[in-house]
Parts: sequence; C-alpha cells; structure tokens
Amino acid sequence: MTVESDPANIARVRREVEDLAAAVGLDAQGVAETGLCVNEAMANVIRHAYQGAKDRPIVVRAHCQDGCLVVTIRDWGNGVNPAKLPPRPFDPTQPGGLGLICLGRMMSQVDYVPQGDGMLLVMKKQIPQARRGGSVSGARP
Amino acid sequence: MNEGNPGLEMVPSTRVDQKSGSVIASFRSEIDLHNSPDLRTVLLDLLAKHDPKRLVLNLSQVPYMDSSAIAVLVEALQKIRKSGGRIFLTDLQPRVKGLLEIARLDSIFVVAKNEAEALAKQ
Repeated sequence: MTVESDPANIARVRREVEDLAAAVGLDAQGVAETGLCVNEAMANVIRHAYQGAKDRPIVVRAHCQDGCLVVTIRDWGNGVNPAKLPPRPFDPTQPGGLGLICLGRMMSQVDYVPQGDGMLLVMKKQIPQARRGGSVSGARP
Repeated sequence: MNEGNPGLEMVPSTRVDQKSGSVIASFRSEIDLHNSPDLRTVLLDLLAKHDPKRLVLNLSQVPYMDSSAIAVLVEALQKIRKSGGRIFLTDLQPRVKGLLEIARLDSIFVVAKNEAEALAKQ
C-alpha cells in the first residue's frame, strides 16, 4: 500500500500488517512485534528521511517468502542508512534510539538497501514451522 | 474514514489525591507518533500546573504505545525528577509493558499494579 508520510497513517498500516502477520501464522507476540517494528520504521522515515513532511510517499509491502513474513518499506527521502549511523550507548533515561533497537531485537533480519533516490527497508520475521498456514501468500500492493 | 489513532483522551480527567499530594491522570487511546504530541502537552501542563511529587499515570486504557510515547514519558520523568518527584505507571497492558521492558524503563519508572498500589507506595 502507498500512504502519505502523515503520522496519522501509521496506525492503519500497522494494523493491516498485523492482520496479515496473524493470517500467515505468527503468534500473538510475533504479530505485536511485527506491528511495532512497522510503526517504528514508518516513524523513522517520517521523522528522519522526510524530516517531518506529511505529504511524501511511503510504500509498504508484505509477503511470505521462505518461511518468513517479509515487510518492505520504501521511501524517497534523504537516503540516510540508519544502520550506518555511529552507534551510541543506549541510555534508557534519554529519549531516542529505541525504534532501531526494536527492529534489531524483534525481527529475524533487517536490511537497509540504498536506492539512489531513497531507501528500501527489508524486514523479515520467521514464522514458526508448526504455525505456517500457507493460506495467505503473495504481495499486498 | 479516519483509521488512525484519535487524539489522546483523558479519562475522565485529572484528579489530585490530597492525602498523598499525588496527581492522577488516565488516558484512553493507542499512542503513536500521531498523538504522542498530545501526551507531551498534557504531561508538561500537569507538571507545570501542579508540580507534583508523585504523578500517577493510569494506562489501563492504553493498549499500545510506540517509542515516541516512551520518549514523552522519559521527558516528563526528567522534568519531575528535577523537583524531586516520581512518575508511577499503573495498569500496564501487555504490549506497553513489553516495550517498557525493552527500553529498560520498567526499573526507572515506578510500576504499580493499580492506582491504589501506586498511592500506597513510599
């Protein structure tokens, strides 16, 4: 789906991805973690890649591949790769940095793929073998 | 149709527990980047108006929050600490509790089962 970079759109996209995550077999915790990571990734795009602009495009797609739920988030922002920013020690009493920590801990794999005109974030969440339903597949436009 | 999170709603309003000198506030909504600025406004207003030693936030009707909401809570905590106050979080829902644990904030805020427990804590 394509949405504008308005924070008001985050919840709708998160819920759509959570619905899909549940449908493909992730358990409640996996669904919640995937939803939070989509939220945090979109918020990073809005705040950093688009520097708060509310009218820029964000394309979110999700599909199953090799036993994983794959969620991609494409932006046309400043192209900064958050994974390459200098690491700073996480201090719970200071705001910031928590979103990336969530991605690193909650997703099975996270890759930032530079696009020349922006960034493509690819997040994968392993679906437990016993829960793979296979009833839902393919990309959601 | 607006399917995003609505603005933050206070439930039913802020009240002051005279006995303990606590300010108690309840909220109703998921909280993400869309409405976390509302949370910030409410909390900073509460701190400016009451300068409480104890701010109790009942989150029983907050099923979800993201890191932007956590950042607001941390900002409020920094502010209240300067005047020797503390923030108590009560009635945490599972997703909120999980995020606080990841952020290692469950040991920095005072987490209580409910308002009564928060008010009874020393």
